[in-house]
Amino acid sequence: MVSIKAYIATRALLTIPMVLILLTFVFVIMRILPGNPVLALIGMKASEETIKSLMEQLGLNKPLWQQYFEYIYNLLRGDLGRSMIWGRRPVINEIMNRFPATIELTIGGFIVSILLGLLTGMIAGVKPYGKIDATMRIYSIFVYTLFIPLIGMIFQYVFGVYLRILPVGGRIDPTLLPRQITGLYTIDSLLTLNFPAFISAVRYLILPSFTLGLVLSGVYTRLVRSSLLEVLSQDFIRACKARGLPNRIILFRHSLKNALIPILTMMGLQFALLLAGAVLTETTFSWPGMGTFLMERIQYRDFTTVQGTIVFYALFVALISLLVDIIYAYIDPRIRY
Amino acid sequence: MRTTDLIPREFWRKIRDAGIDGYMVIVGLMIVITAVILALFAEFIAPYDPIQRVGPPVSPPSTQYLLGTDSIGRDVLSRLIYGTRTIMIVILISTVLSMSVGIPLGLISGYIGGKLDRLLSLIMDSIYAFPGLILAIAVAAVLGPGIYNTSISLAVVYIPTYFRMIRGHVLSLRETIFVEAARAIGAKDRRIMLKYILPNTLFIITVVFSLNVADAVLTEAGLSFLGLSVASPTPDWGFDLKNGQRYFLSGYWWPVTFPGIAIFLLALGFGLLGEGLNTILGKEEI
Amino acid sequence: MVRKMAVRRGVSRNTMIIAVAVLVIIVLGTAMFLLRPGEKPPTEQPPTGPVYADTIIIGTTDRVSDLDPANAYDFFTWEVLTNIGEGPFVYEPGTIELKPGIIESYEIQEGGKVYILKLRQDVKFADGTPLTAEILKYSIDRVANIEGDPSWFVLDFVESTEVIDDYTLKITLFNPVSFYPAVLAVPTYFPVNPDAYPFDEITPDNTAGSVGHYKITTWVRDQQLVLEANENYYGDPPKTPRIIVKFYSDSTALRLALESGEIDIAWRTLDPTDIQSLQNREDINVIEAAGAYIRYIVFNTNIPPMDNPLVRQALAAAVDRGAIAETVFFGTVEPLYSLVPNGMWSHIDAFKDAYGDANLELARDLLRQAGYSEDNKLKVELWYTPAHYGTTEADVAALVKAAWEATGLVEVTVKSAEWSTYLEYTRKGQLMITLYGWYPDYLDPDNYLYPFLHTGSNRWLGNPYSDTEMDNWLDEAQVATDQATREALYQQVQQKLAEDAPIVPIFQGKLYIATNKNVKGVVLDQMMLLRYWLIYKELENVNPVNVSLMTNIFLVIATAQIFIATSVAKASVLKRRIN
Repeated sequence: MVSIKAYIATRALLTIPMVLILLTFVFVIMRILPGNPVLALIGMKASEETIKSLMEQLGLNKPLWQQYFEYIYNLLRGDLGRSMIWGRRPVINEIMNRFPATIELTIGGFIVSILLGLLTGMIAGVKPYGKIDATMRIYSIFVYTLFIPLIGMIFQYVFGVYLRILPVGGRIDPTLLPRQITGLYTIDSLLTLNFPAFISAVRYLILPSFTLGLVLSGVYTRLVRSSLLEVLSQDFIRACKARGLPNRIILFRHSLKNALIPILTMMGLQFALLLAGAVLTETTFSWPGMGTFLMERIQYRDFTTVQGTIVFYALFVALISLLVDIIYAYIDPRIRY
Repeated sequence: MRTTDLIPREFWRKIRDAGIDGYMVIVGLMIVITAVILALFAEFIAPYDPIQRVGPPVSPPSTQYLLGTDSIGRDVLSRLIYGTRTIMIVILISTVLSMSVGIPLGLISGYIGGKLDRLLSLIMDSIYAFPGLILAIAVAAVLGPGIYNTSISLAVVYIPTYFRMIRGHVLSLRETIFVEAARAIGAKDRRIMLKYILPNTLFIITVVFSLNVADAVLTEAGLSFLGLSVASPTPDWGFDLKNGQRYFLSGYWWPVTFPGIAIFLLALGFGLLGEGLNTILGKEEI
Repeated sequence: MVRKMAVRRGVSRNTMIIAVAVLVIIVLGTAMFLLRPGEKPPTEQPPTGPVYADTIIIGTTDRVSDLDPANAYDFFTWEVLTNIGEGPFVYEPGTIELKPGIIESYEIQEGGKVYILKLRQDVKFADGTPLTAEILKYSIDRVANIEGDPSWFVLDFVESTEVIDDYTLKITLFNPVSFYPAVLAVPTYFPVNPDAYPFDEITPDNTAGSVGHYKITTWVRDQQLVLEANENYYGDPPKTPRIIVKFYSDSTALRLALESGEIDIAWRTLDPTDIQSLQNREDINVIEAAGAYIRYIVFNTNIPPMDNPLVRQALAAAVDRGAIAETVFFGTVEPLYSLVPNGMWSHIDAFKDAYGDANLELARDLLRQAGYSEDNKLKVELWYTPAHYGTTEADVAALVKAAWEATGLVEVTVKSAEWSTYLEYTRKGQLMITLYGWYPDYLDPDNYLYPFLHTGSNRWLGNPYSDTEMDNWLDEAQVATDQATREALYQQVQQKLAEDAPIVPIFQGKLYIATNKNVKGVVLDQMMLLRYWLIYKELENVNPVNVSLMTNIFLVIATAQIFIATSVAKASVLKRRIN
């Protein structure tokens, strides 16, 4: 049996080649561009000389291998390059401005999806292979096939325009902007004891997180169901039953806790799904996060920023999966092989 | 799990006995087969040419235009039917691409093991961990719109799924008696892989295929929604959905609703099929 | 352990019910708290006279690029700059007449080569620093030094700047330019405070501002911009002391925000369908104004068969501008028959006079003359770019194709390329027919003709069109100071353009702005910039009962749903045996 420290060290070391692979992958796809990013950037009226000098400035005229090593070297120094438009600001600064918004939405969506998933998964898992189980399983496929922009728009219309009880776009009432500490408005407003801002931030968060959470809850329905099934078939549950414990106690006290462990492992991947779903949710709800940012910059063909954003996503995903694995290793010693 | 599971009579018996999962497979199959027929025979089924204007813009569903007309007066129904072909081509190309990379690599990696296996697994796991839609966005943004480019960006996303599933399955098959036996009588590795192992992974390929396609349909719609997929005038559900979306709030519900339903149904069809098959075919193995 | 359970068993059902009830109350309470309408109840108002709101919220799908006059070169950022700054000349709102801005008077010497600007003495920056000729010189030289995107407004015209005294600046041009006052009105010439704007660096998020009606108080990129009245402004204070700009991702989101009352004004860009249906709403005003934005078809005269003037003329004759304007844009654009927009001086309907509109007969005649027939159709390739010109672009291309094919003698293949590829291939001259658009840099016919038709300067279109006569007229018109002479020259140019047809204008955009019906004072003109300082909003008594009624209805529904949900959960979780 390997000690937990050794496991974490190995796992962390393994993250390095993983990140390198992702970085190389991003570089490869970004550099087979058919168009000329410089031209798209400076528009129709630029002269040949301007184009040439900008190509040089961005290092696009160097050989590919040299560009690659410069790219990796810069990344090691935490430099994602500079935006090609609007004052050429460092990409990392621009991303850090939007990253908290995405995190806030992702956490909101995560909470909603896990609550909905637990509820439906438990209902399904308690009496498997019956009608209710079937309904819940179909629910899980059904919600997953919902298209985020469409249901997002329906929610906006119903709650924003028709009922007028929830805001349809943005992160917070513009007059209530809290002082920036973490960039997460819900946290910042609480830290500064600014309760009106907190309420406003939560109100703006409800519709986007519900849209995102609903669509992804189906994944949890299935996970909760199947791991509950497995736990319920184990000996200790039978023992509990034999002692005549009431079902709800068996369910809540014994089964659920054990059933939740395998769900943890899936959280890393689930997080990737949430990030992808967040792109569409952000666009639908004008949420000023990484997703809207990426899409905007794709439109402007600001390709250093697009590349930087994708790299940032890659690093973030690698970090999350490392964290999840470490947490998992603490909870379930069997994983350390 | 035996190879005989894929013999039709045996298969139908299982589906009949499977209860809800059987229904899921049947409904899923019906949707998928309908889509295939629509795609193959679009010329004979569609009432109008999908890229010509045939009526006044945004006219509501009527006996003449069953599902109404779109923003510039093209028949929504005809575009849906031809759109089935577009999405099917995208699915076909991307599946062929991702299978032809993912399956052989998975087979070899799982069977041979060792350093190669570790390297390949690491690469595939890295890509797998990356959010699918964002990866597709990156590839599509670089390649630009078009049927083939969209197919490529989807293929890249789904290669690791095939790889991981096949590899995992091969790992367990490698230790089974019949592979041992084949090895004992001196069969070559290549022969073992192709003759003994590959056929036994067919069911998992079918399941992974169905689930991947369900996801791919939505990813394609997502790409179209973000303006990164097939370009007009090619009939494409995702494009029609995006194009019709701006009409929805103005009371013209049909240009967006029907493509929306089509995307939803096809994804649901493949999803049900994959789910059902997974339970029916996978049950015995456990 | 087991004992403990057994003891609990007797009360657990009741406990559960109580727990569920408590949970429902908590959820309902939170819901009620969170969902209560955001608007504060109207405060007691004095009974006489209308009351004006102190804040107006404007929504847009545009983005601010650089909040720095030295590098800003797009409409929306210019709009923001125009509200926080002011140049030597300004346009009288609602017209395209120029009047002095931060200058008291000016003098033109040496036949238009030298401009002497006499500054007002009461102009101050938001921080109280008074404006001097030295600062204006610094600002103009800074633009030239940074060489940002709009620097050509300075570099192409200005030879030198010279401070005569504290409030007098002399600008010497390379050549006399008849429209230089219009150039002096662009935000690139706005004075900036040397303390806040370094001489050789672009400051993209600079909130120091300039000498205009407003100052920036909060700036969160792509999320919100808050402007408050600049108390040091020399003129009248703005009608509304605080303006908030909120940024939305697309027209649908913008429209929903307007309809939900989240914003007071929906400004660029609403989709044609949204404009059309907002026009039918009673609580929303839709204001329309002429725009200076034009769209046109470019024929590459180098690629056969487009080198044949007969072919170009035939295609120009067959274009159905009315169908595009009505079908795709619901009449939110107007057909255009010249590169000079409707309503601008010297405009003539050159193409209409020469060909009419959707003139299929003429088109067929011309095509037959060129040797085409039903059996030998003219085959052309039409290119468009899907995202850059909005979601409607694919439909525009489809309609151009339809109109040309209606002649029965043309076969059109529609192709598309992503913006960067599109630009690159166009520039290389590889695309036969392309769709492009133009936003003017300054409002003068010169800006609508010279970049398209003068030899060499139309290289960006990949279009080798070149004509000595045309070049001469364009050059003459640029230096002529007499308006009548210029007008005559530009009309000749437009006639020749219609004759040669290397470029076919299709339509001109109109401007639309949708506002809450209480919003007044919106002034739009061809500058396409919204003047925030003129806008105001009348407050009326919003009936608070109405809103809370809605909330109550929603809460009843929510309660019902929660009860159904909990009872389903109870039914399945509690009542079913675990097998």
